[in-house]
Amino acid sequence: MKRVPVLVLALVLALTAFARSSNKKEAAAVSPVVHATDADTMRTQGEQRFRANCGRCHAAPQKFPPRAMATVLRHMRVRATITDEDMRLVLFYMTQ
Amino acid sequence: MRYLFTNTRSHRRWQKALLGLAGLFLLVIFWAARGFSQTTSTEKPVPILSGTAGFLSDKTAGQTLLDTQFNPVLLVPLGERWLVESRGEFEGEFQRPPGGGSFSGPVNKHLDYLQADYIANPYVTVTVGRFLTPFGIFNERLYPMWIRALQPDPLILPIATASSDGTMLRGGFPVGARANLNYAAYVSVTSIGIDGVESERHVGGRAGFFFPGPRLEVGASWQKVLQDDRKNAVGFHMAWQPQALPLSMHSEFVRSNQGSGYWIEGAYRLSQVHFWEKPMRRTELVARGQQFFSGNITPDAADSLGLPGVNTREADFGVNYFLKDGLKVLGSYGRQLSSAGNFNQWTVGIAYRFLIPLGRGGNQ
Repeated sequence: MKRVPVLVLALVLALTAFARSSNKKEAAAVSPVVHATDADTMRTQGEQRFRANCGRCHAAPQKFPPRAMATVLRHMRVRATITDEDMRLVLFYMTQ
Repeated sequence: MRYLFTNTRSHRRWQKALLGLAGLFLLVIFWAARGFSQTTSTEKPVPILSGTAGFLSDKTAGQTLLDTQFNPVLLVPLGERWLVESRGEFEGEFQRPPGGGSFSGPVNKHLDYLQADYIANPYVTVTVGRFLTPFGIFNERLYPMWIRALQPDPLILPIATASSDGTMLRGGFPVGARANLNYAAYVSVTSIGIDGVESERHVGGRAGFFFPGPRLEVGASWQKVLQDDRKNAVGFHMAWQPQALPLSMHSEFVRSNQGSGYWIEGAYRLSQVHFWEKPMRRTELVARGQQFFSGNITPDAADSLGLPGVNTREADFGVNYFLKDGLKVLGSYGRQLSSAGNFNQWTVGIAYRFLIPLGRGGNQ
């Protein structure tokens, strides 16, 4: 049992280090998608991510008001452990 | 509240563990958050009240049960990174008394979770409070009435899914172009025995890989109970939605001293049928097969946990019809086979998911 906090700490440190070291990579790799000016592309990507992530558990809901949808997506990010990028694209798809 | 620390040594050990975890949270909050800006959206989230309301009529082995459920979910976002969320359960179970008479029964109240989530960075979310134990997928993701394809619980659901009171780290991130890793690691530090707020001390974790291409998720869970018999439980889960078919498959397997078993379920939406297209698109057919193997506990202990007392097999078939978004009527038939007796289970009902934005600007 004494090992549990140490193991958890190691896990977090590894993830955090990974997060920080991959910031630049992520910016380069993800930016063309996330920050694309082509809204249609983002919408298509968002729909694909929506079907892949949200469809794992439930049918597609209707679109809610954008500010409510932002809350739902924050909740689902935690509950379904969807990735940051997926959440952003799904939120774009569900609010545009 | 009744805290059941077994002895002083155990208490001290947990104090050390808690101190370690407190340091861990500070580290996560003040270090990991640097350089991470939450640029999720220009839409500022608002509090919402959501949840499920439903009514079921269940006839098991000739005994009719009227089950009314109301499960409100409150979501309160704070700033860019915080979310406070809670779900309560109000369930009325009404039966006719032996010998006849009108339906009567208890109304149970239960706090499923009340947690604060801090999104530290794209890879780590810290959760503190009471939370649903992330063991397998049914308890956390598929439990709500409007989501589950069949209303009867899987036989193995009570194993390792007691609520947790403590802290949890979780997250999901891409590992390469073709897979996402999701994980959760948690410690439940209290053992509460009062009605409606039961929990136990345990530690555990879950990890899964999701492959967006084939839409396949596989994962494993582990939990060690830190009280009583201090046993381990392990589980495996799978979720698959093939691209070519409107089919959704889920499965779980668990092994523990309380029992072992599995369930596998498929739900098929009739959207590819070329007659009566509109009603067919709204119709879903479901089938589930499951098996439970008794563990090293007495039948009475199993019964108190909600588990079968003997080896049991069950098959269920159902149909869901979606009247509109969030509103469905449902029906199912199941047959349970065991040495304690075979019986049928019929269920019909209706489930509704609601969502109400709260506060100013909620409808924007």
